[in-house]
Amino acid sequence: MSSIDAAEAPLKSSATPPPEYKSSMGLVVDVALRVLLFGTGLVAIIVMVASKQTKMIPVAPGIAVPLDAKFSHSPAFIYLVAALSVACLYSIITGVLSVLAFVRGGTSTKLQFHFVMFDALLLGIVAAATGAAGGVAYVGLKGNSHTRWNKICNTYGSFCFHFAASILLSLVSSITLLLLVWLSLYMLSKKIARR
Amino acid sequence: METQFKEVEVVNRKTSFTVKDLAVRLLALALTLVATVLLGVDKETTTVSVKLVSSLPPVDLPVTAKWTQMSAFVFFVIANAIACSYGAASLILILVTRGRNKLVPIMVTILDLVMVGLLFSGVGATSSIGVIAYKGNSHVQWDKVCNVFDKFCQQVAIAIFMSFAGGIAYLLLIVLAALKLHK
Repeated sequence: MSSIDAAEAPLKSSATPPPEYKSSMGLVVDVALRVLLFGTGLVAIIVMVASKQTKMIPVAPGIAVPLDAKFSHSPAFIYLVAALSVACLYSIITGVLSVLAFVRGGTSTKLQFHFVMFDALLLGIVAAATGAAGGVAYVGLKGNSHTRWNKICNTYGSFCFHFAASILLSLVSSITLLLLVWLSLYMLSKKIARR
Repeated sequence: METQFKEVEVVNRKTSFTVKDLAVRLLALALTLVATVLLGVDKETTTVSVKLVSSLPPVDLPVTAKWTQMSAFVFFVIANAIACSYGAASLILILVTRGRNKLVPIMVTILDLVMVGLLFSGVGATSSIGVIAYKGNSHVQWDKVCNVFDKFCQQVAIAIFMSFAGGIAYLLLIVLAALKLHK
C-alpha cells in the first residue's frame, strides 16, 4: 500500500483527479440505502431458499404420497433468487465505492453518472423479478378457473407465507433502488447548480 | 462576466429539451400504446372436444381466452396504459413549457423512473404467466394452455416484447437526463 502511495504522490496532479464536489450528506444517505438494499435482498433470498415444505398429498383413496414444494419448482422464483443475488453483489460493490468516495472527501460526476445508469438497470431487473414472482404467487393463492390452475396455498400454507414475505422484501428492494437513482440524479444536479 | 455567462448557459441547457429527448419519448409512447392495444383486444375462441360421459361421443365446447381472465394480464394492460398516457401528458407538457419552467424537467425525470419500474414489473408478471401457459408446471399440476390458444399466446408474446422495448426507451430517457446533467 505504501509503495503505491509513493508512486502516486508525484503523479497526483494528473493520475488521481481531486474529488469534484463535496456532498457528505448525500453519500451517507447513499451508503445507508445500499446497506438497506443488501439487507432486504439477502433476507428475501434466504426466506425464499428456506421455504421448502413437505405435505402428504392423497393421490388415490387410501394412499398418501409426501410431495414437497420448493422454490426451484417455479422458474419465476428461480429468477427472483438470481436477480436478488445480483442486486446484493451490486450493492456490496457500489457501497464500497461510495464509502471510498466519502473517505476521499467528495464524489465525482462520473461516479454518480455510473450509479444512475446501473441503478436504473438493476431497478428494471429487480422490478421484473418482483412482478414475475408476484404473478405466479397470485395464481398460487387464488387459482385460475379459466385455465384450470388450482390454488396451492390451501395445502402449502407455510410455503405461501414464505414466498409472500420474499416478494414483499423484493418490492422494498426495488423501491430502495428507485430512491438511489433519485438521490444520484439529485447529487448530479446539485453539482451543476453549485458551479 | 465570463462566469456569469457560463452559469446562464448551463442553466439553459439543464431546462431545455433536445429533439433526441422528444424523439425517445414519442417512441416510448408509441411502444406502450401498441402493447396496451395488442393485449387489450386479444381474444380467441376455439372449440375443445370434451368427453363428458364415456358412452356418448365427445362434445365440442367453445372456450374463450381473454386477457381479463388472468390478473397478471390485467396488471400488464393497466401498467402500459398508465405509461402511455403519462408519455402523452409529459410530451405535451414539455412542448408547452419549453425551457421556461424549471420544475417540469425534474418532475418528468422522477416520474420516468417510476414508469421504468412499472413497465418492467408488468413485463415480468406477464412473461412468467406466459412461460407457465407455454410449458406448464408439472410440480403443481398446472397444464399448458398455449397448445390450444396459439394465436392468443403469440399476441401476448408480441405485446410483452413491445412493452419491454418501451421500458428500455424510458430507461434511455433517464440516461439522457443524467448525461445532460453530467456534461
